[in-house]
Amino acid sequence: MSALPQARPQHVVCDGNEAAAWGVVLSRPDMVAVYPITPQTSLVEALAQFAADGVLDAEMVAAEGEHSVLSVLQGACLAGARTYTATSGPGLAFMFEPYIRTPGLRLPMVMSLVTRDTLSPQCVWGGHQDAMSVREIGWIQMYCETVQEILDTVIMAFKIAEHRDVMLPVNVCHDGNYLSFGVCRVDLPESSGVDAFLGQPDTNWHVALDPDRPMGVDPLTGGGGGPGPALFARYRKGQCRGMQNALGVIEDVHRGFRARFGRGHAPLIEEYRLDDAEYAIVTIGSMTGAAKDAVDEARRLGQRAGLIKVKTYRPFPLQAMAQAIAKVKAVGVVDRSVSFGWNCGPLHQDVLGTLATLPQRVAAVSFIGGLAGADLTPAHFARALQTTAQALAGAPPLAPVWLNEDDR
Amino acid sequence: MAAYETIAFDAAKCTGCGDCMSACAQVKTGSFEHASSRIQILPSANDGFELALCRQCGDPGCVSVCPAAALEKDGTTGVVAWDGTKCVNCLLCTVGCTYAGIAFDARAGHVTKCDLCGGDPACVTACSEGALRHVRSARIYSHYGELEDLFVPGLSGCQGCNTELLIRHVLRAVGPETVVAAPPGCIPGMGTVGYNGKTGTKVPVFHPLLTNTASMLAGVRRTYKRKGRDVTALALAGDGGTADVGFQSLSGAAERGEEILYVCVDNEGYMNTGMQRSGCTPYGAWTSTTPVGERSHGKAQEAKNLPLLMMMHRCAYVATASTAFMEDLYEKLAAAIEAAKHGFAYLHIYSPCTSGWRFPSQANIEVARKAVETGFVALWEYTPASGLRFTRSVDDLRPVDEYLEAVGKYRHLDAAQVAHIQAHLKKDLGLLKELSARGAQADPRALAT
Repeated sequence: MSALPQARPQHVVCDGNEAAAWGVVLSRPDMVAVYPITPQTSLVEALAQFAADGVLDAEMVAAEGEHSVLSVLQGACLAGARTYTATSGPGLAFMFEPYIRTPGLRLPMVMSLVTRDTLSPQCVWGGHQDAMSVREIGWIQMYCETVQEILDTVIMAFKIAEHRDVMLPVNVCHDGNYLSFGVCRVDLPESSGVDAFLGQPDTNWHVALDPDRPMGVDPLTGGGGGPGPALFARYRKGQCRGMQNALGVIEDVHRGFRARFGRGHAPLIEEYRLDDAEYAIVTIGSMTGAAKDAVDEARRLGQRAGLIKVKTYRPFPLQAMAQAIAKVKAVGVVDRSVSFGWNCGPLHQDVLGTLATLPQRVAAVSFIGGLAGADLTPAHFARALQTTAQALAGAPPLAPVWLNEDDR
Repeated sequence: MAAYETIAFDAAKCTGCGDCMSACAQVKTGSFEHASSRIQILPSANDGFELALCRQCGDPGCVSVCPAAALEKDGTTGVVAWDGTKCVNCLLCTVGCTYAGIAFDARAGHVTKCDLCGGDPACVTACSEGALRHVRSARIYSHYGELEDLFVPGLSGCQGCNTELLIRHVLRAVGPETVVAAPPGCIPGMGTVGYNGKTGTKVPVFHPLLTNTASMLAGVRRTYKRKGRDVTALALAGDGGTADVGFQSLSGAAERGEEILYVCVDNEGYMNTGMQRSGCTPYGAWTSTTPVGERSHGKAQEAKNLPLLMMMHRCAYVATASTAFMEDLYEKLAAAIEAAKHGFAYLHIYSPCTSGWRFPSQANIEVARKAVETGFVALWEYTPASGLRFTRSVDDLRPVDEYLEAVGKYRHLDAAQVAHIQAHLKKDLGLLKELSARGAQADPRALAT
């Protein structure tokens, strides 16, 4: 392995895509396979340049499409490699076949999902529709709020994925446009510190394609008789257990990261001005900054408003979410995607599910905004807060409120 | 492991000169009398010549009728040997042999037969026309027999399927430092990857998706190369997963020069799931999705020429092969294994399907041979350095009807369809010949201009 350049700056000014690439460099994967797609492209370009400069010592595969990207990495991971890739919207759709298989193989890969709205209407801009469409597949999903959080979460994601109680692939989601191209000052952790934090790759102790340990990988399993049904149920249950174990591991890893690097992020749910709040909005991803500004403004006006931000979406942090929601009497959930057939956002559904575990009644309103790159401003969140406050008194609207529908 | 060698005779090349008989008689008796020769060239009914000679049969009729145990097939050399100390001169063996390979020699006073001159037959050396050929393919079988069989006994292929033969021999040649990808199809269907936690293979084996065999192998190979280990990445894939839904990953891996040994076992369709058409299904063929009815008469389109497409990728090695020509196949397999150490090697093996093509299960090799002899399948190999080279002549081919008649999936063809197939073959072979004529200068893409 080549060392990082000695004269490496402690800070860089870069956008979210380059921050993710720095996170990859520091995590020292053995293999990176990529295919460019908007708005992830500059991430791929940054990795290619890092590899060309010798900053990133990984086997680079410029595959002919996302389907192969993930397939190459599956083979590599089964041979013991630490692996990384990144994609967006249609790229995710194209890699769906190997994507849906990865969690069942228990392969601890890390993939940045630079979130993008889905076609059609034809669009190239940010939104969560791609990520939300695969929320039940078995990948861990963590959504970043800032450029710094992207870098830090990419590093943490390898430790979470490779934890022996987890062994599942992780999507580090960062919003297309707002985070992918938003430029900030970013602190780089010491590479030796990251090496010590992550340890050596540990990806195929459980299943391997290795002539030294010959085995049949993924033979047909299941069917209506013999050992199949019980075996299949055992595999599925194990996968569910890994997903639930991840909640604790994600918290531990965030705690460990803060202890080592002196900087941290809420691992599952972040509560913002919630303790004495009457009502709150629930956010996810980069929208949270503007939403916090709107909460501050409401507070200045004497409103008892608060905010709940979701960092880890899958596995869903039910307990943390229930504890947070139990503090208020009404919530407004802001989604950057749609759950077709439920007439609300997908995060809203999860909140409804959480409410069913609480003894008290909490009013809930679904807001949908930020689709296809639409901006969610403090003014949009002021409206969301106001509507949620109104739900305290009367019945909440049954249909979702579309935050950008009156934008001019 | 018993060796099996024989002398093959090409009647078309024989001029009837008799040099072989003179040589045999000279070596065995010291005279030049043709009557003392153990090989006999005789005029045939159609103005040519035919051969009377011991074939060193695997299950010799002469041995089974001999009441004195004077004839025995040698377990080491494979030669059917005559023991004069036991022979009672009953001559039953001369009746038991269907090839007139053992006969009474009046001068010697007993039967004589060919003993292959200890491995260097004088008749073959004497034949200046190339009509006689010492076939040692069985020697290769013996060599393969000494290598470890890396599949368990008793794979559950259909009766008469030659794919089991293929996968066992390929794996013997490739050896244990291998990772095998067997995408969905007949090959894993036989139990190679396995069921419910059990596997039929002694080396690492996995089910890729139908779509991503080449990509997954690329990841495996590159990872081991990075670790400094020489592990062969071997695909044993059907034509459907190769030519259709898996073609993108195949093409990408070939273009990137991934170091993979990709063996496509072409049975011209999705045979494992009940004989649906693939891009490799030939024109006119019945399949369950190109049925024969009032308005359709089998597949309406030509097959994709997959090996030619792979040649267009300028792979390190591309070859076609057939289970009816095992010697040829072994040579190509050896070349492909070597090429896969530095580039993409693609081996396309035609594999008739007893179940899906509708012919008797014992006829598999015969059908495979007819495909080659009629030019329906051409045997060739390609390297970037030497271009395309036929490994079996495509001049003097037999009419394609002989092949089509042997295969039930063509039973419905009318004369116009047969003529269409014959014309198309001619065109296809013409293209291959043109490429072959270009030799080392062969840049396949230059053909387009």
